[in-house]
Amino acid sequence: MTNTIEIKNLNYRKNYRSILEDVNLNIGAGKTVGLLGENGAGKTTLMRLIAGVAKGASGSISIDGKDDVSLKKSFVSFSEQLNGFSSSMRIDKIIRFYEDVYPDFSTEKYNQMAGFLQIDEGLRLSALSKGMKEKLVIGLTLSRDTKVYLLDEPFGGIDSMSRKKIIQSIIKWKNDDAIILVSDHYVSEIASILDEVVIIKDRTIYTQKSAEEIRSKYAEGIEQYYESVYEGNDIDD
Amino acid sequence: MKFDDKIPIYYQIKNYIYREIIVGKLAPGDKLPAVRQLAVDLTVNVNTVQRALSELISEKIIEPQRGKGNFVTEDKDTIEKLKKMLITEQLQDLYENLHKLNVSDEEIVNYLENYINERKQVQS
Repeated sequence: MTNTIEIKNLNYRKNYRSILEDVNLNIGAGKTVGLLGENGAGKTTLMRLIAGVAKGASGSISIDGKDDVSLKKSFVSFSEQLNGFSSSMRIDKIIRFYEDVYPDFSTEKYNQMAGFLQIDEGLRLSALSKGMKEKLVIGLTLSRDTKVYLLDEPFGGIDSMSRKKIIQSIIKWKNDDAIILVSDHYVSEIASILDEVVIIKDRTIYTQKSAEEIRSKYAEGIEQYYESVYEGNDIDD
Repeated sequence: MKFDDKIPIYYQIKNYIYREIIVGKLAPGDKLPAVRQLAVDLTVNVNTVQRALSELISEKIIEPQRGKGNFVTEDKDTIEKLKKMLITEQLQDLYENLHKLNVSDEEIVNYLENYINERKQVQS
């Protein structure tokens, strides 16, 4: 198997507080995976560790068999990286920045996506609506040619039309063997595009299941299954 | 289309394509949209579409042509069988539901006949 994420015995503490404990997770090539959990469950932290932005965890995270941090960074495109830009920056400047910093950034792919998502490059970051900002984040993140894409809550507080466009562009522009890990705490909106769900609870991976298995085995929707996990109902395995 | 999240999506995609074929929106010999296009249109995962198509191929409802895509079968018997299967499914539901209401076989036939006559009168 190539293009996989393999996490072994991962433990992470911050300010003497345990954030993630004994995390073990394998994700196969080409999968679109929903990372689900309450606010504060550790979803963003896990993504930051996979991306190599957060450091100091024990255990190992390898991507495509490689554990080297600088190599890993080139394997991962992470939506959070847009947070570093000043709000007065114009979008075309941000695009130039991406072209300069990431050799794998495809301007052609970006332009296709920007056309589809109707992103106006002349605007400044501060002038963007929430939905438009998320579209830009998705466009920039997916325009890099990497093995892993991490999308941290891309649907927070945006209207249903923008959401639909974003979901369609994920389907449209995802490479066949790339992994997409998308975190969310509303499940129903992304349920139909997921291969698997990974639920984080009590600082660790509570379960990892195929989305179609949840439907066929429990006759439950992903949302329902997720809620039953958080409400502590027993689920027969 | 809207999916029921409690039912495997590949299964719902198969049913969707069955219906498109039976009502003639997809005619025998028609080319199906590309996998990714179908995924975008239906807002589902590419892998899920792939699974649905693989099953339709093994059922010989669609035929892959190397490098060209997937085509609806031109075999009339296969389509006729498919239609019969879908009709039987509906009849089975109706039959079982009415039996649960203690309606006998003869009564089912009578009720159905009356119902059809009433519908005809409403329409005319």
